[in-house]
Amino acid sequence: MAAPVPWACCAVLAAAAAVVYTQRHSPQEAPHVQYERLGSDVTLPCGTANWDAAVTWRVNGTDLAPDLLNGSELVLRGLELGHSGLYACFHRDSWHLRHQVLLHVGLPPREPVLSCRSNTYPKGFYCNWHLPTPTYIPNTFNVTVLHGSKIMVCEKDPALKNRCHIRYMHLFSTIKYKVSISVSNALGHNATAITFDEFTIVKPDPPENVVARPVPSNPRRLEVTWQTPSTWPDPESFPLKFFLRYRPLILDQWQHVELSDGTAHTITDAYAGKEYIIQVAAKDNEIGTWSDWSVAAHATPWTEEPRHLTTEAQAAETTTSTTSSLAPPPTTKICDPGELGSGGGPSAPFLVSVPVTLALAAAAATASNLLIW
Amino acid sequence: MVPTAGEPAAGDSWGMLACLCTVLWHLPAVPALNRTGDLGPGPSIQKTYDLTRYLEHQLRSLAGTYLNYLGPPFNEPDFNPPRLGAETLPRATVDLEVWRSLNDKLRLTQNYEAYSHLLCYLRGLNRQAATAELRRSLAHFCTSLQGLLGSIAGVMAALGYPLPQPLPGTEPTWTPGPAHSDFLQKMDDFWLLKELQTWLWRSAKDFNRLKKKMQPPAAAVTVHLGAHGF
Repeated sequence: MAAPVPWACCAVLAAAAAVVYTQRHSPQEAPHVQYERLGSDVTLPCGTANWDAAVTWRVNGTDLAPDLLNGSELVLRGLELGHSGLYACFHRDSWHLRHQVLLHVGLPPREPVLSCRSNTYPKGFYCNWHLPTPTYIPNTFNVTVLHGSKIMVCEKDPALKNRCHIRYMHLFSTIKYKVSISVSNALGHNATAITFDEFTIVKPDPPENVVARPVPSNPRRLEVTWQTPSTWPDPESFPLKFFLRYRPLILDQWQHVELSDGTAHTITDAYAGKEYIIQVAAKDNEIGTWSDWSVAAHATPWTEEPRHLTTEAQAAETTTSTTSSLAPPPTTKICDPGELGSGGGPSAPFLVSVPVTLALAAAAATASNLLIW
Repeated sequence: MVPTAGEPAAGDSWGMLACLCTVLWHLPAVPALNRTGDLGPGPSIQKTYDLTRYLEHQLRSLAGTYLNYLGPPFNEPDFNPPRLGAETLPRATVDLEVWRSLNDKLRLTQNYEAYSHLLCYLRGLNRQAATAELRRSLAHFCTSLQGLLGSIAGVMAALGYPLPQPLPGTEPTWTPGPAHSDFLQKMDDFWLLKELQTWLWRSAKDFNRLKKKMQPPAAAVTVHLGAHGF
């Protein structure tokens, strides 16, 4: 008989407990979001509490010193970024949560920096923007593009937040493009605009796949090849010209070559044996500006394999060849001292190899004198 | 030979301009090149391309001087007026796909017609110019532009295309309208120079395209000559 009553009693008690629990631990309302300017002073009232109510303030769960209070209001002076956080005020005795403020400290936006560029001429161009100094709070940007009186659509870049793309509808236009951007956040607003002609913003991407190779048997040459940037849509109708620069790593001064077509060039005045750094840039033949420099290629010109010579080994070699045939020693004999005395033979301009040749010739002459005569 | 349309009124410089333009259109056609044994249109296309670059370079300094003479706001870099008036100026602007798919004859014809008009208007400008130095620069530029026209005509002749003849009634005349104020005149001058600059950029691209298309046939002609034992 008494069974239903205890059940009902339990239910009521449970409900009451739940109400008390929610009252204590969950907010009366969602926290009030507030944005304040860096360096300013702010006074946070404790919701609708009287000025003389007894309250305690906490920030992110940590108690705040009572000397910051003016009655029930929290006073923060000289706001710093560290002041951002969740501020809560509680009734001092009951710990009843009265009010919550989510404070964000930041700055109004300064004038944005806007730039546009066409690396895909004649397909279209893109515009980039950024703020010169951070605001520390969320900003929204709005970009509008005008071509004369016609509004054009700027499609947001799928990957980059601060870029959008415009497609050219017409080429060779005499009317300028005007791109305007406005930026705003909770603390302020700013805007800027730029105006330009179709041709002035053309700047290709740098050439790709720059490769430099030594040329066999040529100690002063380097062969450089590259590709037109893959973003340039139509190199046939809109050909690019190229600018090559190179220097040995040990020097600061660059050599420059401008090439009106072709994607290869042979450097013919490299210093033998020195490692070179080479870069290439591209530009539309008639309009716009030069691209940035490509990724650098490194190469060292071909050098001859060093040969280790000793006179004994060489003499032995020459002796064997002389005994095998009565013919004169091989053509390395350019200048025979014996022949020179008798009126000389042909002189050949082998400047570098003369010392080696003379030694060989001397050895050959000695050998032939010993064996033939 | 003065046409009945556009009879010059007393002291009307634009009417005289119309007269001049008509005379220009009726100039004798450029004599056809001797096609036997020549290397095809390749070299003359290259020459025309080079001329557009030369003219573009020349125009840069000329336009700078002239816009300074017009004074602000015409010489301000951000000056971005709406395109009003100057409707008879030949416009370089064209849809990308249309431009790409132009056949050679049409491409060349559009260039020829554009520069004929522009030369005409430039000569009108020259008559109005205040300083002797400006008149000298303009006259020099007009001569170069005349050379470009001749070069384009040469290419067209080499390819067997007829030079465009104006239809009666469509001669380039510039009727200023009731009270063509000083400011509006300056606006017209501004657009003339702008359109000229843009046409020169476009022509460079046009002749680039022609050059690329002509290259294989030019090589074939050379081989052919070699085979004849020259």
